[in-house]
Amino acid sequence: MILEEAAFVALGGVAIATALLALLVRELVHTILWVAVFFVDLAAIYFLLEAPFLGVLQLGVYAGAVTILLLFGVMVTRKRIFSREAATGIGPVPLALALLVIVLVGTAASVVPSSAQPIRPYDVTDLSSTLFVTDGGWLLLLGLTMMGALAGAIYLVREGRE
Amino acid sequence: MTAIPPVDFLALSAILLGIGLFGILTRRNFILLLISIEIAMNAAILNFVVFAAYSGTGGGIGGQAVAVVLVGLAATEVAVGLAIVLALNRVRGSINVAEATTLRQ
Repeated sequence: MILEEAAFVALGGVAIATALLALLVRELVHTILWVAVFFVDLAAIYFLLEAPFLGVLQLGVYAGAVTILLLFGVMVTRKRIFSREAATGIGPVPLALALLVIVLVGTAASVVPSSAQPIRPYDVTDLSSTLFVTDGGWLLLLGLTMMGALAGAIYLVREGRE
Repeated sequence: MTAIPPVDFLALSAILLGIGLFGILTRRNFILLLISIEIAMNAAILNFVVFAAYSGTGGGIGGQAVAVVLVGLAATEVAVGLAIVLALNRVRGSINVAEATTLRQ
């Protein structure tokens, strides 16, 4: 039990640290590498929460596809990919707003019983029957949204449009 | 069988949401903006997974189903966002969102 708590503390600390580093380093490529570590770390947290399918999905979609897409975005929009960003000041208002949101959401979360409870392990069969039968409409909606997004992306980047 | 109280995960999620929000409010580079949105979205997905894991017998699996759909949705959003980055870069020559003022009066 103590091992799992230690794992949670370590994974949570790494998640917060990498998310902060991703936003605070000056090179955009370093940002993307830090955010890749963040995605892998979150996948590990999903494994800790006994959600292995979601963990694998996180690794494939986020740590794999999204990271590569972001790197491509950097590659095609700059001449020197390691050039530094202009420093953006850390204004007091965004900081205060972010802290306010953390406090508000944290307060709202504290109504959840704080005692340790067992996590319900589940079957991938359960998840797939929920995903494809009970809540099949959402998956269908996701597919349609992706198709619309595909058409929209092609429309945005097509040649000869200024 | 984990002995971690669910509140700890929710607190982590709240902190990540705050970091993402902070990035959205302060960064001017479109790609950094997308990354901030992804961090905030991951916080939301983590919430769904936590509540699915701690929901006791029955019904909890729906939270994971929503999380799966959300992961797909986030990937779609990044793809469209990068298409906007490319279009912005072609039209304005920069991906600074503060310079994208074509629609202003």
